[in-house]
Amino acid sequence: MRGPGRRRLGNGGAVLVRANTNAVAGAPAQSVGAGQGRGGAHASGVRKARGFTLGRRQQVAAWLFLTPAVLYILFAFALPIVYNIMLSFEQTSPATIADITAPFAGLANYRFILSDPTSQMAIIHTLEFTAGSLIGQFIIGFSLALLFTLRFPGRTLGRSLIIVPWLLPLIVTGLIFRFLFQLEGGAVNQLLMDVGLVHQPIDWLDDPHLALGTVLIANIWLGVPFFTLLLYSALQDVPVQVKEAALIDGASAWQRLRLVIVPIILPVIEVTLLLGFVFTVKVFDLVIALTGGGPANTTQLITTWSYNLSFEQFSFGEGAALNNVLLVLAMICAPLYLYMSRGSLRLSSGAEK
Amino acid sequence: MTRLQRSRALRWLCTLATVAALVIVLFPVYAVIVASFESTETLFSGTYYWLPHAATLDNYRMVIQAQSGSVLTSLVVGVGTAVLALVVAVPAAYALSKYRLRVTVVLVSALLVAQIVPSIVLATSLFIIFHWIHIVNTYPGLIIADGTYAIPFSILVLRAFFFSLPNDLTQAARVDGASEWQTFLRIVIPLARSALITIAVFAFLNGWGDFIFALTILNGATIVPITLGIYTYLGNYSTQWGAVMAAGAFAMVPAAVMLVVAQRYIASGLTAGSVVG
Repeated sequence: MRGPGRRRLGNGGAVLVRANTNAVAGAPAQSVGAGQGRGGAHASGVRKARGFTLGRRQQVAAWLFLTPAVLYILFAFALPIVYNIMLSFEQTSPATIADITAPFAGLANYRFILSDPTSQMAIIHTLEFTAGSLIGQFIIGFSLALLFTLRFPGRTLGRSLIIVPWLLPLIVTGLIFRFLFQLEGGAVNQLLMDVGLVHQPIDWLDDPHLALGTVLIANIWLGVPFFTLLLYSALQDVPVQVKEAALIDGASAWQRLRLVIVPIILPVIEVTLLLGFVFTVKVFDLVIALTGGGPANTTQLITTWSYNLSFEQFSFGEGAALNNVLLVLAMICAPLYLYMSRGSLRLSSGAEK
Repeated sequence: MTRLQRSRALRWLCTLATVAALVIVLFPVYAVIVASFESTETLFSGTYYWLPHAATLDNYRMVIQAQSGSVLTSLVVGVGTAVLALVVAVPAAYALSKYRLRVTVVLVSALLVAQIVPSIVLATSLFIIFHWIHIVNTYPGLIIADGTYAIPFSILVLRAFFFSLPNDLTQAARVDGASEWQTFLRIVIPLARSALITIAVFAFLNGWGDFIFALTILNGATIVPITLGIYTYLGNYSTQWGAVMAAGAFAMVPAAVMLVVAQRYIASGLTAGSVVG
């Protein structure tokens, strides 16, 4: 990742794009890079400093530097997660919210989640929605990434403007799509009717069979730039010699893509899909703004239904139980994610011992 | 067709595909801006106007009157989130990159995993915990919650950046007799300026655009950020589209401004981070 990043420093548009790749992908994208390319260089740098044990003074200083972060992680992550687990075994009611604990309820909340049709629907919708989003975002994002590696007028502009969806707060995005997909006076129906594709306006948001698909379209729109930019910067790293060698050997464009390029960038594809999965199971704002979970709960996801259980029905225990389902779903990725980010772990001292 | 003609045709096809993609990407933004100037009659006429139709400033007048406080609130939340992210992340990232500690692996793993935790899980618990310690419906409560987006990310990105600073610099300062704190404050912070701006901008935008914590941790009466303000225009049966769009246009401003103004810093901060990180 570093080569192209450096080379493109002279180009304003490209740099902006690059900055944003990191802004969303952040550490993971970098860690993968670290794991692949830089592990060696770094290890030697660290080794030089070895033999040098930390003095007591430095040990104390390091811990002081870490204190705010450790306290923050404990308070804002560890405590809520543990508390959420406790809550899921409690019989909560509006009256118990004022106290920090409520009577023990055994598995009642989980039994409720398993028998409640809306909770089941929310879990199934979340899986469908996530799978659909990832497939759509990957196909479109990868196509655009491939497109931008070609030379043609407008590629730089395309690459810099593709990030626009990130400029909008999610709630605004949701409301815009709600506006554009309206039954009457919505831009989408207007376009379809003007072109003559349909004769009756489509009820995108209120037809129980269509609403989840509409939310899916909005989420794909939102996620494509992330896929495009990560995959684009991976494609930039494929050595030209490799591509040329394949060309000389007479490989067709499709063969070059499938047999040469994809295997090389596979680690980045994996991380991108993994992060895409994590982002998508969390989606909340977009759905609340677009459909609010309706019609007839057909767009209710785990996040929105959990919100509904906790904050509208005041069944915090049931909400917490559903949260734990979501947490397990998201945490399936954790070991994989840590493994893929092992580069950034290896850079630290502990792993070397 | 000759080869040259064919490659030229292909290039124009690529340009065409890019234009099509950009139309889809940019249209919603265009639609917000156009709709924010439309009258209520136009917006509810049942016809979509592709071009501005009978422009008016009524929506902006209404939103400025009703949402000025919300814009200010969101600014406070955004700045607060940025400050919290800097205070927590900068020293931690420094310690995790420049000191050889046994705990590093554990902490970095925890930060990576923290990025995965869905906000709704945190919001449910934080609401009750905050209720218990009486910071529900307060700025500090909201800012602490909003920090959950930016802080793990910030520490990891800054840590990558600090790896790029030569150890010789800090060693030299130590040899000269500077304390650990002085080294950090006088040598490291000034060198990391662009990375810090990046982190601050990112955290600000998280605080500014947050909706889920504003919806759960605030009661919607006393402290109302712009995201929550926009949401209140959403009715069950009729949505005040003009107001939604004008407020939405306001909500887009900081991201646009910051990405233009701070682009230089963001670019150098993050590329520097990624070169070595």
